[in-house]
Amino acid sequence: MKKHLWMMGSLLIVLFLAACGGDSSETSGDGGDGEWTPDKNIEIVAPAGAGGGWDTTARSVGKILEEEGITEQNVGVVNKEGGGGAVGWSYINSTNNPHNIFVSSPPLIFVPLNGQSDLSHEDFTPLSNMIADYAAFAVADDAKWQDLNELFEDMKNDPSSVTVVGTSSPGSMDHMQFVTIAKEAGVDIQKIKYVSAQDGGGMTQILNGSADVYSTGIAETVEQVKAGKVRVLGITAEERLDGEVLEDFPTAKEQGIDATFVNWRGFFGPGDMTEGQVAYYEENLKEVSDSEAFAEIRNNYGWDEMYMNSEEYSQFLDEQREQLGSLMEELGLNQ
Amino acid sequence: MGAMEGLMQGIQVAFSWQGILFVLIGVVAGTLIGMMPGLGPISAIAIMIPITYGMDPSVALVMMAGVYYGAVFGGSTSSILLNAPGISGTVATSFDGYPMAQRGEAGKALAIAAISSFVGGTVSVVLLMLFAPALSAVAVSFGPPQYFALMFLGLTAIASLSDGSTIKALITATIGFMVATIGIDGQTGTSRFTFGNPNLLEGIDFLVIALGLFALAEICFLVKNRKDQSLQNQGDIGSLKLSKADFKEMRGPMSRQSFLGFILGVLPGAGATIASFIGYISEKKIAKNPKEFGKGSIKGLSAPETANNAATSGAFVPLLSLGIPGSGTTAVMLGAFLVLGIQPGPLLMADRPEVFWGIIASMYIGNIFLLILNLPLIPYIAKILKIARPMLISLVAIFSLIGVYAISFSTFDLYLLLIFGFVGYLMRLFSFPAAPFILAFILGGMMEQSLRQSLTAAGGDMIILISDPVSIGLYIVSILSFVVPIVRNRKNAQADQAEEESNAS
Repeated sequence: MKKHLWMMGSLLIVLFLAACGGDSSETSGDGGDGEWTPDKNIEIVAPAGAGGGWDTTARSVGKILEEEGITEQNVGVVNKEGGGGAVGWSYINSTNNPHNIFVSSPPLIFVPLNGQSDLSHEDFTPLSNMIADYAAFAVADDAKWQDLNELFEDMKNDPSSVTVVGTSSPGSMDHMQFVTIAKEAGVDIQKIKYVSAQDGGGMTQILNGSADVYSTGIAETVEQVKAGKVRVLGITAEERLDGEVLEDFPTAKEQGIDATFVNWRGFFGPGDMTEGQVAYYEENLKEVSDSEAFAEIRNNYGWDEMYMNSEEYSQFLDEQREQLGSLMEELGLNQ
Repeated sequence: MGAMEGLMQGIQVAFSWQGILFVLIGVVAGTLIGMMPGLGPISAIAIMIPITYGMDPSVALVMMAGVYYGAVFGGSTSSILLNAPGISGTVATSFDGYPMAQRGEAGKALAIAAISSFVGGTVSVVLLMLFAPALSAVAVSFGPPQYFALMFLGLTAIASLSDGSTIKALITATIGFMVATIGIDGQTGTSRFTFGNPNLLEGIDFLVIALGLFALAEICFLVKNRKDQSLQNQGDIGSLKLSKADFKEMRGPMSRQSFLGFILGVLPGAGATIASFIGYISEKKIAKNPKEFGKGSIKGLSAPETANNAATSGAFVPLLSLGIPGSGTTAVMLGAFLVLGIQPGPLLMADRPEVFWGIIASMYIGNIFLLILNLPLIPYIAKILKIARPMLISLVAIFSLIGVYAISFSTFDLYLLLIFGFVGYLMRLFSFPAAPFILAFILGGMMEQSLRQSLTAAGGDMIILISDPVSIGLYIVSILSFVVPIVRNRKNAQADQAEEESNAS
């Protein structure tokens, strides 16, 4: 038994040592109000795993910042996965370093409203919004609905006859984008049947008929639409998009449902940044947004240009919070 | 005709000097990264993505695919030599591979793993080539009720993964289920057992648990038993040579698991892990001497190794032909495609035949490279065990820590790793098996979600779970796998009652 105690003791010591080593923090940059330039590498945090929308945005913007020589410093992308973004946000908040910025989108509004993060957009400095992406509601090619109105008509009569599938959990993006449009169409949003399926399960489920409607991003549907396997009933943009296949997707608006949902994506820094620091990022990100290289990337992924500077952005976010907050309250998801 | 032309184009890509060179680079990098305890295909692919910038997409993807299956191929090494599985797909490999290495047959164990992997990989590439377009229908044929039934079948393994007390196996499995519920619940968005800690919102990563329960617990034991003479021959590598009898043992598992593993790999979400577990269990169920399993059985090592490599090729079916990533690894792989401007999906085969067929054709070459590279290297790799014990132990600890840190670059996971190491050590002390814990953890999360997805879609009607032939078939197999061994054991029990008694004491 003595040996066991020894083992436990040494494990505890390791634990203790690890705890002590954990809180080395770094601070840098200058504190003045004047012009600011980074004195070391810029780190863009994608608060999600590799391959997703945040990661793609972070990597493509990082690449352009570096390749076009917009920044003198190197730009690295770091994935901080977890908690629908909460892990990355708390990292930015705790390092509180103007060299570390992160990319975010509507979950920055949803996750705090869901009670899954104590940090909200107000705890960060909006730097610039870059792009807008929109939601698409897809059904299998042999589904009975031809447009959103037919779908919502059925849902009004019997909300439980339709299963909606998305990747994120209720109260986050895929759910709320559907709810926003359905609410405007007059569906009882509390009775919508929504399931969340990870690992590509959403597309699989509408293809095999386990679910009826897939609430997702436009890009995810394009290949399947081209192949004639799924149909997009409606998208949440203001106007039709450009591009082959994309231009065929009808908006909810043109179908008489006066609602839109923007999946905006932009950059944020830690809470206390000086004016000079904000100006530095605003300027450089604007340059990225205007560059041809970024136009090409937007085109490839079917994103819209939607630049907002720091001030416009923060106003926009407050409005978003109000609008989505009241919807979530109605759903009883607000905490 | 189109497919034939496409295939020719693919073969041209694969057999061009660039194709051959980069598939070689890919598999070498993949095996080396995969061999490190704690680093698996996800890290391997992520590490390689920046290298592909500006490369010809088809050549780059041939290389990335090589990294992927190379890492799965190499992943068995750390399971066998160090009991430190780097990916979930090689956990089952450690059940029999590690005991074999401890017995002083590390060389043989590695050779068996390499040959099984090669056979599994090659047979499944043939299947992939012949059936990839047709199999895309199979990939989407499973809805939530069928997944639930499949996970249920996987769970019947819990009882058979315990050497001693079934009660203890059930207890650890229950804890595994409980740990699987930590995090945001997908179906309601509620945080469960997170105690307000954002690091727990996405649940606990598999690797943290596997390295904690297996590698760290093993380290603790080695330290504790460091003066124990009985483990001295662990440093022996033994002969590499496999006898005819060994091959005869391997033949059954290799031929069966190549197919079974491939089919399970095709299903998004199931993948190499489930394939390796189901491969292990099914071989144990039909084996003449199931008691050998867990003690260094050749079949028990060959089965999961064949299955996980076959499943890896299978995973390319939904990825290439549907654009659906069925696992974390294939999601990163999908990211690698997108970085190169290639959109996998139903049209990939028609639009970019050189990519689609190029990857598949290169897998033949890749698998041959893997075998040629690995067999002669085995004596050198196995020499790891000759490293002085204290040094080896610290190396394993360091690699476990690095592997876990690389998941999310958070120190929080390191604390969790230490906690699981401690738990794993306690479990070993009181002889609670760790395998059911990890199996329940892997299957539990998926099982719960698919159950609830089924029930939500059906409005709470349980009938949906047994309303189609696939699920019913899977339940029947599950029940059979319970009943048959019991009946057989009864027969055997009468025969060797005396032996049983002496074993029990």
